[in-house]
Amino acid sequence: MKVFCVIPAFNEEENIVEVIKTVKPLVDGVVIVDDGSADKTYELARAQGVIALKHLLNRGQGAALETGNQYALKNNADIIVHFDADGQFLAGEIKELTELIESGRADIVFGSRFLGRSSNMPVFKRLLLMPLARAMNRMLFGARLSDPQCGFRALNAKAAGKIKIQSDGMAHCSEIIGKAFQSGLKIKEAPITVVYREFGQNASGGWRIIKDLVYSKFLR
Amino acid sequence: MFQQLIALGVVIFFIARLFWQRKKDEISRTEFFFWQAFFLLAGLAVVFMKKIDELVAGLGFSATGINVLFYVAVVLLFYVVFRLRLRQEKMERNITKIVREIALKGKE
Repeated sequence: MKVFCVIPAFNEEENIVEVIKTVKPLVDGVVIVDDGSADKTYELARAQGVIALKHLLNRGQGAALETGNQYALKNNADIIVHFDADGQFLAGEIKELTELIESGRADIVFGSRFLGRSSNMPVFKRLLLMPLARAMNRMLFGARLSDPQCGFRALNAKAAGKIKIQSDGMAHCSEIIGKAFQSGLKIKEAPITVVYREFGQNASGGWRIIKDLVYSKFLR
Repeated sequence: MFQQLIALGVVIFFIARLFWQRKKDEISRTEFFFWQAFFLLAGLAVVFMKKIDELVAGLGFSATGINVLFYVAVVLLFYVVFRLRLRQEKMERNITKIVREIALKGKE
């Protein structure tokens, strides 16, 4: 099966080379989507011999992921892996997600930071923001997942075809989960590790996600 | 009575406009139902104005005509801001489509 790894990147010149080096040997194609970076992310990615797409303007992580998905689907990807460019995920765990799809047990596999593997997640995030996000996903989409906001996931071509990401910003995590549940796809979770270097989404980011989800209900 | 008729005329105009926009596929189903409910409630409020006055008075409030006008203005402002925000969202999505098209061009 042809596995493509889509990595959205915004001002990641410090991490992008290292991330590409760890991911490239494990997949058939790496697609870096530079989301309007002001630094040398795009040039550094190109120099690594991977596919580098460039957004002329910063459009957000969700938009970059959808661009990567469309490229991968047009190039006959069987499995697409979403991976972050900041080096917080472990490339070695990609295989654990793709295996569940290759064996036919899942159409989409969500990485989870809450299934046993140790992640140094900030306490405020673990005890307050994550339970709130989990409750919201359950309320809006009937989605019961242990990790409501994880960017590490794998999906087969069928799932990628059904899930068109419309949220440009960070609401895409909830949108993907919602559409996966509504499309009747086979869904699995797999434990992953996250090595935190920054806090990531904070409370105001969470509020923005809720706002984006509400507005998206009014748009086609 | 005359004021109520004018208000009802405005409400009917907006409801008719909603149907027209939906027919031309300019608004989503969700948007259509939301604003339809909004204007139907506004219409009901106009028709049962006296009952509402009684209710408001019963709750201990005293509202003069200018106050009511003020409340209506606030609601209309809410409507306009919300519409503007939706329009902005649509434009943002269109910009993303263009940016994506340029990014993918020549890379397939």
